[in-house]
Amino acid sequence: MASIELDRAGLTFRVRQQHQLTFKEYLLKGMFRQARNPLFEVRALQDVSLRIGDGERVGVLGSNGSGKSTLLRLLAGVYHPTSGRSTVEGKVSSLFELALGFEMEASGWKNIRFRGYLQGESREGIRRKASEIAEFSGLGDFLKIPARYYSAGMMVRLAFSTATAIEPEILLVDEVLGAGDLAFQQKAKQRLSEMMEQARILVVVSHDLKVLPQLCERGLWLDKGRVRADGPIADVIAAYVDQVGQPAAVAA
Amino acid sequence: MWAYLVAVWQCRNFWLSLVVNDLQLRYRRSVLGVGWSLLHPLAWTLVMGAVFHEIFKQPIRELLPYLLCGLVCWTYLTSAFLQGCQSYIQAENYIRQHPLPLAVYPLRTVLGAMIHFLIAVVLVIVLTAALRGVGRPPEVFSLLLGICIFFLFGWAVTILAGFVNIAFRDTQHIMEVVFQILFYLTPIIYHREYITSRYVGWVLDHNPLAPFVDLIREPLVEGRAPSLACLGAAVAITLVTGLAAAISLGYQQRRVVFYL
Repeated sequence: MASIELDRAGLTFRVRQQHQLTFKEYLLKGMFRQARNPLFEVRALQDVSLRIGDGERVGVLGSNGSGKSTLLRLLAGVYHPTSGRSTVEGKVSSLFELALGFEMEASGWKNIRFRGYLQGESREGIRRKASEIAEFSGLGDFLKIPARYYSAGMMVRLAFSTATAIEPEILLVDEVLGAGDLAFQQKAKQRLSEMMEQARILVVVSHDLKVLPQLCERGLWLDKGRVRADGPIADVIAAYVDQVGQPAAVAA
Repeated sequence: MWAYLVAVWQCRNFWLSLVVNDLQLRYRRSVLGVGWSLLHPLAWTLVMGAVFHEIFKQPIRELLPYLLCGLVCWTYLTSAFLQGCQSYIQAENYIRQHPLPLAVYPLRTVLGAMIHFLIAVVLVIVLTAALRGVGRPPEVFSLLLGICIFFLFGWAVTILAGFVNIAFRDTQHIMEVVFQILFYLTPIIYHREYITSRYVGWVLDHNPLAPFVDLIREPLVEGRAPSLACLGAAVAITLVTGLAAAISLGYQQRRVVFYL
């Protein structure tokens, strides 16, 4: 049984204005450091309360920098809330930025193993599923060459195939499916809906307002780190489009 | 603490496969493979050996195994400190994707260094036997114990070096300089007894890395157990660094991702 529960969760980043600190800088500019390279706080998420239960498919939308990716990382357990509580139950698999979790010097076959193991798959499980993953990715002989030579679309194919093959209970997808070609997007949609028949949770971030209703039935609109709307996907998209004032986004 | 180690063990498939991959990358595509990577300490030993033999008239049979063993130990220690600096930064991809116990990434670094070290230990054994005959075989029990301590110390050091490097990104650069100096302040290319100066002697006796070199060299090259003082110092230093590593892991586990 998978479930996600956020209770007034908030996340505040503390970042430096300039590049990362070095020891040299620390010694030389010690006295003026605060003035030249101040820490400042970014409130990525504020007061997010949310319950997602078995079988729900949630599409997250919002403008750039509204906290969508941060929310997914919070759900994946990569970030921990700096205030409030987050409880995630179930085996999580995630597809974030493209190059994430690729060992660039290793072949596609090896990367299937690394990604599988990273998400908690057993040695035996990988052996059983590797050929199926390879087939679904459609990469063929490209699997023999290092991931360094892969295009964005090829990485998505491989990452998606692995992430869905390990039978996650919660799948988090951040805006990456768009990089795959049309044929693969169709396959991916097909597989996602198959997965959903087994009562699992999908949370997907996308700016493609045409794709979201096909994948999800629930929408979540984030605005400046807060939940602006939460409800049926069509309503949330309508409200979002209305507020942004660009109906063209739907037609596109 | 125990639960943490269990969690590290549970994702062993992940880090073991990465270690294997690292080694394949390191040794592949060279005619001599593994041998190629041993060329560096071997060449160093021969050059140093020739020089010391000429200047100090030391017997080459005693000198070469001593030098090679010291260099091999030193290579392991420096790679724990220097490569350790990169252990989290290199793993940023994984850390941003999945919440594994952080100690996994330094473990990948230190295991790579350890395997390389063990291969070099075989070379030391062969060289020692070739030069001195089999009359003085390595003291196996002390050697195994020493290797275990070496491994734990290396792991703790990579964990700490990784954290320090996240706070100050030029740590590796500074450490390279420090280790350049430390190399001459550790009895690697000379015996401790040769140093008669009080001040330098004091530094040598308080060099925290010196016991670790002796810990391996005594059983491996001289065929005797290391002195209790040496063993005690190595264990104590390992405990202190291990404790510091455990505390900083507990403190940093949830924070590191923000500073990468």
